[in-house]
Amino acid sequence: MSTSRKDIPETAPEAYRQAIARVIIDEATLQARISEMGEAIARDYEGKNPVFVGVLKGVLFFLADLLQATSIPLAVDFMSISSYSPSSREQGYVRITKDLDICIEGRHVVFVEDIIDTGLTLGYLLKLLRTRNPASLEVAVLFDKPSRRLIDIHPRYLGFHLPDLFVVGYGLDYREQFRNLPFVGVLRPDFLKLS
Amino acid sequence: MPHIEETDFQHPAEKEFAKLLDFYGIQWEYEPRTFPLDYNEDGSVKSAFSPDFYLPEQDLYVELTTQSPKLNNLKNRKIRQLQERYPGINVKLLNRRDIRSLSIKYDFPDPTDVNFQEGHPRDRT
Repeated sequence: MSTSRKDIPETAPEAYRQAIARVIIDEATLQARISEMGEAIARDYEGKNPVFVGVLKGVLFFLADLLQATSIPLAVDFMSISSYSPSSREQGYVRITKDLDICIEGRHVVFVEDIIDTGLTLGYLLKLLRTRNPASLEVAVLFDKPSRRLIDIHPRYLGFHLPDLFVVGYGLDYREQFRNLPFVGVLRPDFLKLS
Repeated sequence: MPHIEETDFQHPAEKEFAKLLDFYGIQWEYEPRTFPLDYNEDGSVKSAFSPDFYLPEQDLYVELTTQSPKLNNLKNRKIRQLQERYPGINVKLLNRRDIRSLSIKYDFPDPTDVNFQEGHPRDRT
């Protein structure tokens, strides 16, 4: 795991390079851990044909790599919910903007998430999915920031604990930017203040 | 669940937090309980603490503070006292940094930027 600004890959867009203070999880470390997670899930779900469920958009990168690392037959589906944006919060409550296409009743479900912070989003979705009577429901999350946790969630598969810093990359965004970086970096504090 | 507009929040950060909880369907109560922390010799309450929120489904009390870290000592001490006196009570402190992070993550105005940083009016000493 690298910790220096000079480790920011030159392939990253210059505007992003300027905004990032340092890399905290490099690409190789990310991919190695995801491979381990995929192997563990494959062992646990052999013969169960699980359904992997991801919530757009941040999970896209992690889910794609995790699926390739999980060498068993499986299905995949997506959900999308309204985020707590200025427009959607006027309505006062979260809405499902894209529901699952696959019926999960009686199926083994692996809910894949990029990051757990407060747990508000994940808690809401897990509660919803439990009402659909899956045979089992477990969580695979790449990043955990437990310091602000409000909802008690214990992922069965966990990639990394993250420090209490504003991080971006590998699906994590700041105002919809930085998701496409192949590593995780810390945003410069002055960038957060200026933008 | 109480209605936001009917609740007399003591700080804008608390109202923003309540809106966030409502959005995700999390039940909350506002300052539902006061915990005596210390008593005078005559048995009257000398010091007490009322966490801002209680989340019944999580069995969790949440206290928000917008004070600078240097001014957090009193609140931190009260939370420590509460945990010592009531070991079965779960309480979480969201400090100014946490609230700022939430405002960035959920894109709402930073309630710690307004002129409410002098202290929490409901702090009891």
